[in-house]
Amino acid sequence: MSTATTTAVTTPVMPARPWLTTAIIFAALLTVPVWLPMLGGYTALAGRVLVLGLAAMSFNLLLGFTGVMSFGHAAYFGLGAYGAGLTLKYIAPSTPLAMVGGVLLGGILGSLFGRLIAQRRGVYFAMVTVAFGQIAFYVTYSWDSLTGGYDGLRGFSRAPLNLGFTTIDITNNSTYFYYFLLFVFAVATGLQALLLASPFGRTLVAIRENERRARFLGIPIERHIWMSFSISCCFTALAGALYALLNNFADPMGLHYSLSGEIVIMTVMGGMRAFWGPLIGAALFVVLQDYISSMTVNWMSFVGLIFVLVVLFFPRGLLGMLQKGTEK
Amino acid sequence: MTSPTLPAIRRRTLIKSSLAVAALSAPPIISARGEVPVRIGMVDPLTGTLSALAVSEVEGAKYTVERLNKRNGILGRQVELLVEDSANDVGTGVQKTRKLIERDKVDVILGDVNSGIAYAMMGVTSELKVFHMVPGGHTDPITGADCKWNTFRVCNTTAMDAAAVTGELVKRFGKKFFFVTPDYAYGHTLQANFIKNLKALGGEYQAELLPITNSEFSATLIKAKAYKPDVLLNNMGGLAQINCMKQFTQFGMQKEMHLGGGLYEIESVRAVPADAQTGTWVMEWWWDQPNVPEVVAFVADFRKATGKTPTARHWFALVAIESIRLAAEKAKSLEGPKLALAMEGMELPRDIALTAGKSFFRAGDHQLMTDLFVGDVHPPSKGNPDDVFTIGSAVPGEVAAGSVESTGCKMVHPA
Repeated sequence: MSTATTTAVTTPVMPARPWLTTAIIFAALLTVPVWLPMLGGYTALAGRVLVLGLAAMSFNLLLGFTGVMSFGHAAYFGLGAYGAGLTLKYIAPSTPLAMVGGVLLGGILGSLFGRLIAQRRGVYFAMVTVAFGQIAFYVTYSWDSLTGGYDGLRGFSRAPLNLGFTTIDITNNSTYFYYFLLFVFAVATGLQALLLASPFGRTLVAIRENERRARFLGIPIERHIWMSFSISCCFTALAGALYALLNNFADPMGLHYSLSGEIVIMTVMGGMRAFWGPLIGAALFVVLQDYISSMTVNWMSFVGLIFVLVVLFFPRGLLGMLQKGTEK
Repeated sequence: MTSPTLPAIRRRTLIKSSLAVAALSAPPIISARGEVPVRIGMVDPLTGTLSALAVSEVEGAKYTVERLNKRNGILGRQVELLVEDSANDVGTGVQKTRKLIERDKVDVILGDVNSGIAYAMMGVTSELKVFHMVPGGHTDPITGADCKWNTFRVCNTTAMDAAAVTGELVKRFGKKFFFVTPDYAYGHTLQANFIKNLKALGGEYQAELLPITNSEFSATLIKAKAYKPDVLLNNMGGLAQINCMKQFTQFGMQKEMHLGGGLYEIESVRAVPADAQTGTWVMEWWWDQPNVPEVVAFVADFRKATGKTPTARHWFALVAIESIRLAAEKAKSLEGPKLALAMEGMELPRDIALTAGKSFFRAGDHQLMTDLFVGDVHPPSKGNPDDVFTIGSAVPGEVAAGSVESTGCKMVHPA
């Protein structure tokens, strides 16, 4: 006879004043070209924060809001990068088309793969995602004639944006390119916020909080997890496509499990129950990596130490703790 | 009885401590300065499988910068070297290159040991119109089919290394080769060039491409043993080459076949057992060259300054930075386009070239033409741990390189 258990459903951490957090974040992001150089930074660094922040936030749709752990999200990030690069190199020199190409490649493969694993849970789900990630990595690594192998895909560059009435030179002007990244980031995160505020998003949170109860309510759990996984892969692939545009190349390390681990670290450091948490985690990770690696070759030890300290002292992540503080 | 408790660290204490550390270690805000030093940015894989080679290049660069600053610097300005770790990762290498150019405003970029990273860095430096010197990334397209107006290279192409040594290997040991090759740009071009030369001499081969970071070679070495080649060419680099050599001797294969190949750098030779300190190889520069007094003087000065014997990697960095000085003095500028034009065809004086033959940067492909040394690696002799190579012959760079047309380079300068 099974024992009936009662699980206390915790309320997800939502910011007390979500508009205030959003306003502060976008005010900071919009003024990056002004204040970042004064602090010893550079615009490309902020671009990297946006791209990896979008990847971590997309991953968090799955981990933070659906309660499912993937250790292979770098695969969709890297596939997005290759999709964009291959589109620019072989199809047409169009930046929007490259983003579509990246999202389609990463999103479709992620969606197909997600269909196969939606029934798995816990460590089994996580291990299968690692396996798929490594398959994607080795295919990319070995398909030298198409992907450039270990050296990566080169010979393409982002194209200026033609709006019909004017052309924006995101190829040579790094500030324009940063604002282009910010625009795409804002649209993508806006869509994510709408999705999470919709009945579908609330259902995902219900699955995360108590899957058994959600199933008793008649919610098709597997289908929701599959859809969440697919949407997460599409947004992660978009981040990968932006990464290819940022660097004008794509390489197989963009699909490697080590990057999947870094995405998890960013998400947990920032706060996986807070919408903007992964962005804060990505900013911390990228800036730490940039500064500390200039001082010592053992920079990963410091990043690891900071991760341990965050997990010990800020178990809800940096933003999660701040939001908890404002709620008191 | 109460259990002992550890003293608790409060979260507030942690935050205060972290802020204090961050404030102390934050980069200073730079204000306008009168005499700004010449800034040289260097990107190399200080961590990862090629780290030993990268560390030598950085040591060579530091030595050269110190030497220049004791004299008159570059264009009368002091020189500052900024080093960034590419971690043997292409994405990180590109990011660090952008950082050095956009944030640190370096005048020139050096790097990377990893050919694939050097190749990717070229995209950034040409986009941002910054002069780029590749001291030690060997893959051919850098000064071949993908050559750029702003990129010059000190080390040889793989075509030069293969052309210099293949004939010697065939003549002394036979025409049956087995290649162990890293699966990236450097390995691909090196193996392709060996095969081209071997086929021209009527030879045959088998080859195995392995990941650049490979550490386990037993399956490959068993295949090699079964093939019974005359020569095993270990084309791996850094730690991977060292691991392959160790396993080669553990299998006792040194009694069955000869060793040889493109590069077996002194950093790697020092790290392997005496049994594996053997074979016929190319050294791109050697510290013990007969009848070149400039080399003797340099080796003595380098040993005095660093306590080490200079390797080819130290020399790469020295030639790279000293060549930039010479070109800047000729152009009276550090602007990329002017520097590049000044360096085209520039001949290096003997005290910088540090070799008996003629050394110059070929205008058509920006490749340094200098002597290559073909000879035998052996265990340390004369009580000197660095005396592990005996020069057999010096092959002039132009002879090994062939014509500019054969490289596929079509140099286009900016308008």
